[in-house]
Amino acid sequence: MRRFVLGEFSEPDACVEAARRLREGGVGGLDAYSPYPLHGIDEALALPRSKVPLVALTGGVLGALAGYVMQWWMNAVDFPINVGNRPPHGFWTNIPITFESGILISVLSIFFGAIFHFFQLPRTYHPVFESERFRTASLDAFWISAETTDENAVPDLEGRFRALGAHKVHTVVETP
Amino acid sequence: MAEPAIEARTALRPLALIEGRQDDGTLNKTLNAYIWQRPQRGWLALTLLGLAGTGLLLTAVTITVAVGIGTWGNNIPVAWAFAITNFVWWIGIGHAGTLISAILLLFQQKWRTSINRFAEAMTLFAVLQAALFPVLHTGRPWFAIYWLFPYPSTNAIWPQFKSPLMWDVFAVSTYFITSLLFWYLGLIPDLASLRDSSTSRRARVTYGIFALGWRGSARHWHHYKIAYLILAGLATPLVLSVHTIVSWDFAVSILPGWHTTIFPPYFVAGAVFSGFAMVLTLIIPARRFMRLKHVVTPRHLEAMAKVMLCTGLIVDYGYLMEHFIAWYSGNVYEQWVFFNTRPKGPYSWAYYLQMFCNVVVPQVFWLKWARRNVGVLWVGAVLINVGMWFERFNIIVTSLHRDFIPSNWAMYYPTWVDLSLLGGTLCFFGLLFLLFLKFLPAIAVSEVKELNHELHLGEAGISLHTPKEPLHAGELEST
Repeated sequence: MRRFVLGEFSEPDACVEAARRLREGGVGGLDAYSPYPLHGIDEALALPRSKVPLVALTGGVLGALAGYVMQWWMNAVDFPINVGNRPPHGFWTNIPITFESGILISVLSIFFGAIFHFFQLPRTYHPVFESERFRTASLDAFWISAETTDENAVPDLEGRFRALGAHKVHTVVETP
Repeated sequence: MAEPAIEARTALRPLALIEGRQDDGTLNKTLNAYIWQRPQRGWLALTLLGLAGTGLLLTAVTITVAVGIGTWGNNIPVAWAFAITNFVWWIGIGHAGTLISAILLLFQQKWRTSINRFAEAMTLFAVLQAALFPVLHTGRPWFAIYWLFPYPSTNAIWPQFKSPLMWDVFAVSTYFITSLLFWYLGLIPDLASLRDSSTSRRARVTYGIFALGWRGSARHWHHYKIAYLILAGLATPLVLSVHTIVSWDFAVSILPGWHTTIFPPYFVAGAVFSGFAMVLTLIIPARRFMRLKHVVTPRHLEAMAKVMLCTGLIVDYGYLMEHFIAWYSGNVYEQWVFFNTRPKGPYSWAYYLQMFCNVVVPQVFWLKWARRNVGVLWVGAVLINVGMWFERFNIIVTSLHRDFIPSNWAMYYPTWVDLSLLGGTLCFFGLLFLLFLKFLPAIAVSEVKELNHELHLGEAGISLHTPKEPLHAGELEST
């Protein structure tokens, strides 16, 4: 059963500093929660580089290619329409829709990639919401959580959180 | 000697972006207060008006669809009239949202933060109104789908992709989807904060569903920031492409008055011009009635007035160039449109109204006094909206009604259905906007909190120079 030790901080910088110290002290399964992105938290938690740009690029390139091929196939191969003997495959006239479809597919892959893959949302349950107090994480407080499956590690973690300046510390247990 | 120097510094110091001493708690309370309080009488009255106007819109749409576009005042030669005028006007208004949220984000303009959500919502609702008109003007929209969208219909025929009208379909739908997703991504953290500050179960569940279970995790913010930035980066060329393509609908034809190479940049500038005018028209009353003056400060209004002045000058340059090229080309038909039909023809009143609203009115914003006076600003913005509508009217109706051969000439008069569609979309737009103001955070709360935090840091860093004046972004930038 997963347990989350939660600590509430009232200042963003204290939260970032605590996250850094906890990680350096060998605590695993750390995460921080804040109403807005915290400066320096990525380094403090040593998060790997985001793959979102890669998703955006792939989506954009594939979208643009698909857009171009679609126009070429539809207008020059499958159903060529001869208008005043103009070539059925017009490179330049294909550019606007190629551009638009590149943007469209890139945007869709960023958005849905972020929501479903990177955020793993939507989800109806997460153990941190077991804490009623955790509401402040989206309002005006900053939280750190340490995930553990070991019940005996909890008192030690709680002590560390307090030592780092968390003014509210408690542990939530995932409901099975 | 030091006195005048200090005075000069004080005069040059930028106005506050966030007034008063705010923290996350007070921002949370004040920015979302409007959602939790009981609806005001004014809000209810306006919403009823919006509903009534939406009813009128539905009536006009039903009549158009049931009877046909013969109910409009369109004729030959004026085959495009109110519908396309309204389309271009609405889509132009939609441009300010993306400009504010994406382009100003890339340029790191901090004054975008309090108004971006507002402007994005305006964009979405304006594009919705815009999309209605091209669909209706096809006459039988249910048949139009197969030549507008490439889907495998039983006709086994595909759209003709060499037409700017097709490019328009792709540009506008891409723009709408991008704006919607960008807006929603920005809303998620604020929906979560509404979920968490709600007191009733119903509100908590409703906002909770739309917040998708967002918990503000650092691992999510990490991806969120970069996703938001890339979306902004993609929206920036997109917004320029949309009105460029709209202008090609006209510019690639050979009709005098449309066949102009200046159209793409001139349309884009005009779009931003009218979009900012619409943001000001809406935000000036909203900031007052929703008590948001501490985050939408004179600094924001002044910056928007400056953008309006700048884009207005680009539009004026466009007007000048149109006339110059008509003269310089030596083409008698071009000259006829620009020096006879428009200034001396039966629609000359519309031409002079356009010139007054778009050329004369914005010049008042050279004066600091006018930029800081909300009354002047609001009237100016409304006049610019009117002027930009008449600009499109002139481009479309005036150019069409007298083309090459005088035997083709005809006047265009709108019918009540035309007028109801225009008025109806205004009301529907207003209705959507009022609902947005009441049920969603009109200010990007999490972004304002972040800005507030940054400003505090900046203030601490620069405290040597300005011990007493808190919260100035200009000082932050100089640190």
